[in-house]
Amino acid sequence: MRPEQGTRMNESQIAALVSENERLKAELNEVRASSNQYLQNVAHQLTAPLGAIKWSIEALKDPQVPIGRKSNLLSSIYSQATILVHLIKNFALMSNLEADLELGQFREKPEPIDMMRLAINLANDFQPQASERGNKIVVAESTFHKVFGSKKLAIEKNLVAQAISNLLENAVKYADSRETINLLAQADDRTVSIVVESKGIPISDEEKRNIFARGFRGAAARQKVAAGTGIGLYLASRVMKLHQGAIHVDAQGRISRFALEFPRPKLK
Amino acid sequence: MSPKKHTILFVDDEPMFTEPLRLVLEAKGFNCVSLTDMSAAVDFLDSNEVSVLVSDIMMPSGEAFPGIDSSETGFHFVSLVREEFPDVRVICLSVIGDQTKIEKLKRQGALYLRKGETPLETAAKLIETKATGVINF
Repeated sequence: MRPEQGTRMNESQIAALVSENERLKAELNEVRASSNQYLQNVAHQLTAPLGAIKWSIEALKDPQVPIGRKSNLLSSIYSQATILVHLIKNFALMSNLEADLELGQFREKPEPIDMMRLAINLANDFQPQASERGNKIVVAESTFHKVFGSKKLAIEKNLVAQAISNLLENAVKYADSRETINLLAQADDRTVSIVVESKGIPISDEEKRNIFARGFRGAAARQKVAAGTGIGLYLASRVMKLHQGAIHVDAQGRISRFALEFPRPKLK
Repeated sequence: MSPKKHTILFVDDEPMFTEPLRLVLEAKGFNCVSLTDMSAAVDFLDSNEVSVLVSDIMMPSGEAFPGIDSSETGFHFVSLVREEFPDVRVICLSVIGDQTKIEKLKRQGALYLRKGETPLETAAKLIETKATGVINF
């Protein structure tokens, strides 16, 4: 190699490094901006239910408000508290799920879980919120008996509970009022799935492609409910990836079905 | 005019804030109506006499007003109310903190209350004052 050629190569290497450095700086700024926006969103999402709880308590304390009308306020406080707990769990999950995925291992050891019991507990948790819009969450127990019989599913319970909760919360938010939200189990040769089925805003084919991306919210979803973090389905998809499973959406007209699909060997 | 003669219209897709307000104002004798989108509210204003409108900002626009971004609905709604129902006094109840947007609402003659930050009793008294024109603190 002639000396001048070596110098030229070094210069071009330096130029490449400089441009790479610029690119990384820009990327870092972008990440910072998006994480600031994310934090603001988090603060807003947490403040709203707490504000509502404060006002409900103030109305409860008002001696002029008839006792008979106060039970609605108590239900509302309960719903808001459920929303808060759910949100905080999502935010906590967000911060350590990525690390778990990188390591490719669970923080806690998967354990055999009775899926029907889990489904019933989660349905009960979201029922007060659903009732506010005249919706009912129904656990199709016969499908669970058929798929699971006396068997259990080896999963990290808290993660899967959060994934199912995210599907239920969406169903409650986006279902047409006075509709039934079905929680059911299904299976084929290779997989077992937990499915949340509801009737509400339609999901377009393009939205289906993006629906599991972090921060994505469909146009109709934004139109119907202004506030939302856009991380519920993303987190559910990451939870399923950690379980070597998958998440699917199937939507026809106003009926949509979200399925959490586990590999059959997890049935024990 | 006694409170009974005044109708207060609440427009909010999430009743968790308007419900406690409504209960407190009903206990004071006001006639309260709750609706969940802009289209239903405009319909109601067309055929009913409303003293005070308490409206959210981020809410659905409904079928009669397609194409409005739900995070902006309240701004469109307030402009429409100022133009078509100038006698209705307007209070916006929302979580937005953008001062430029809040200033715009104020210029349009709306009172802005931030959800959960104004004590419930104060919010109720402000609505009462707007409705009756009497300061009763």
